[in-house]
Amino acid sequence: MMLIIINNVLTFVGLSGVLSTIIVIADYFLANYGDCKIDINGKREITVKGGSSLLTSLAEKDIFVSSACGGRGTCGLCKVKGIDGCGPLLPTEKPYMSPKELEEGIRLSCQVKVKRDLKIEIPESIFSIRKYKSVVTAIEDYTYDIKRIEFKLIEPNEITFKAGQYVQLESKRYGKVRQPVMRAYSVSSNPSHTDYIELIIRKVPEGIMTTFTHDHLKEKDEISFTGPFGDFYIRDTGTDMFFVAGGSGMAPFKGMLEELNEKKSKRRIVFFFGARTTKDLFLLEGMKRFEEEMHDFKFIPILSHPEPNDGWDGLTGYIPPYFEEHLRDPKNTEGYLCGNPGLLNASEKRMRELGIEDVYYDSFG
Amino acid sequence: MEINSFVIFIAAIFTSNILLTNFLGMCSYLSISKDMEASAGLGMAVFFVLTFTSGLNYLAYHYILVPLNLVYLQYIIFIIVIAAFVQLLELVIERFSPVLYYSLGIFLPLITVNCAIFGISLFMIIRNYTFIQSIAFGAGSGLGWLLAILALAGIRGKVREKMLPKGMNNAAISLIITGIMALAFIGFSGVVIIQ
Amino acid sequence: MKLTPQEVKIQERLKPGVVTLDGFLGKDKRHYNEIIAEDLEVLKGLAKTKEEIADRLDYLTKKALPYDEDGVVIDEIYDLQYVTARGRIISPFMDRTFWPKGIITLKNLQNGVEIRWTPLSIHLIRRYGFFQGKGATFRTEPSDLIKAIF
Repeated sequence: MMLIIINNVLTFVGLSGVLSTIIVIADYFLANYGDCKIDINGKREITVKGGSSLLTSLAEKDIFVSSACGGRGTCGLCKVKGIDGCGPLLPTEKPYMSPKELEEGIRLSCQVKVKRDLKIEIPESIFSIRKYKSVVTAIEDYTYDIKRIEFKLIEPNEITFKAGQYVQLESKRYGKVRQPVMRAYSVSSNPSHTDYIELIIRKVPEGIMTTFTHDHLKEKDEISFTGPFGDFYIRDTGTDMFFVAGGSGMAPFKGMLEELNEKKSKRRIVFFFGARTTKDLFLLEGMKRFEEEMHDFKFIPILSHPEPNDGWDGLTGYIPPYFEEHLRDPKNTEGYLCGNPGLLNASEKRMRELGIEDVYYDSFG
Repeated sequence: MEINSFVIFIAAIFTSNILLTNFLGMCSYLSISKDMEASAGLGMAVFFVLTFTSGLNYLAYHYILVPLNLVYLQYIIFIIVIAAFVQLLELVIERFSPVLYYSLGIFLPLITVNCAIFGISLFMIIRNYTFIQSIAFGAGSGLGWLLAILALAGIRGKVREKMLPKGMNNAAISLIITGIMALAFIGFSGVVIIQ
Repeated sequence: MKLTPQEVKIQERLKPGVVTLDGFLGKDKRHYNEIIAEDLEVLKGLAKTKEEIADRLDYLTKKALPYDEDGVVIDEIYDLQYVTARGRIISPFMDRTFWPKGIITLKNLQNGVEIRWTPLSIHLIRRYGFFQGKGATFRTEPSDLIKAIF
């Protein structure tokens, strides 16, 4: 009896063992693609373990190609351009491609398997979005409710962005807040400084994030953010530019001006800045310096509710009525707006009336 | 059994079609038959796997289980052999032919648990086939299964689902069609007998 | 009272620090269903529906928007101010709606009643009749609300 049982077990285990061994060996030789290098846009090279899809391999390295179906090949969103090593186009990809895309070698990254070294191209904007670890190196009060905060990058230690783009800051748990939240803030530092970013943050009443940045965040704190995002940046056209901002809407323009100044731009720029009282004005020194150093830059602060004891002798009221007198040629002027929806809507409307066609904005709303 | 292997092959396709006479392998048959292309892919995969596993299981049975007097282990051993073979096949196809992998390989995991595959292995043992007969039986059954699913997919393509009463869509109408097809295939059964 | 899992989840999301810093319940220890029931009872007595109130708030919000924080007086009675922040806030009722982040303050110049609300509070009033818990940051007593805006 015992013998039969042992015989049974041994045969069974032996057969299963042999088959499993065959599969393991096959798996080792067939499915092992070793470490593969993926060359992205000829700029960055990442090394991943071969065998999984391009989409997940990229995501492992924090490069997030957009995908709605999660890699099942049903949404057709995760398109990348395959230059070398992606293998033949698969029947599962074909339905999502236009004739032009077929010709260019566009592929669905969820269907392409990384089996050897690849060379691909992805849109620059996706490529540069990453999660950064940083440490707070400076916190400075601009006004009673607006702060400047500087973040030095730790990992990765360099960021490429366009002046005017924004990042999403991630808060930590504090007080009653048990879950971290993400909020978007425009970068206000010069893109040529790649080792840190600076944000200008205004305290929002009851805001989860700004309560954190204004009341809890200290220098030397570690904090992470993701970015850069957004298509609010200066178009390289050479036209005159109208900047319009209110409050912390100053942020993107500060970065833009620093960059334009450094590049010795010859463009004519008028910056309309709206605030309630003199208490809400900040960076006046910096703007004055830009006016002196730059080719043709004018900073025009406009107060809506100046108090009598402010001693304000500048412009007052709403911003849009002041556009006309500074306008040279509407066809050769671009508008850049950042701030509250009320200001933005009114400004855009007025600019359109004046014949300015290219108006770009970064709405808070 | 003194039946010509070729006769078994033809019989397995028509007179004793595994799907239409034994109603084995129904689950994937019903769910995949909506689409002609996928049906062809799945049918090919079944054909492939059936041909090979019937041969492999024959060897496993006659050269391992019979000498060791462990015939009653056949059920579990057959399943293990099928599973391992499918796994292996998937790895090989994926490595060497991505295009084939996407037309065929994605169905492989589906048919590991297909009862038609297992059924064929059991039938060939019960019917005492030789090695060659077993392979002919496996290949024929695979082709028969392919034929049946293609026929159903074709008919389903012609059926206008909007005309059907509610509740008759999908599986219900497929089963009715399959029943009628089975009746038609019974007509073949007088031609040859392999059982 | 037996609660559905959905209702339990929503109650959690109304607490401080989940969707907003101070939450929607204030010092109210009751379940939001009870808060809604009580307020709707009050509304009945005041002969206004939650939709009428929401429509009125919508109207005032639209009027206030172009003037931002500078404020504006509408219809010679309502002194309005609209403070905006960037981004959108998600509805705690898990209805997958997002609302602009803004705070609208209103002072009724005739009777001096002051109230404030957000675009999200209009949504919560219109769809659920939820005026938020007693002591919550954006709680408005239905009676005050009606005095201020009608």
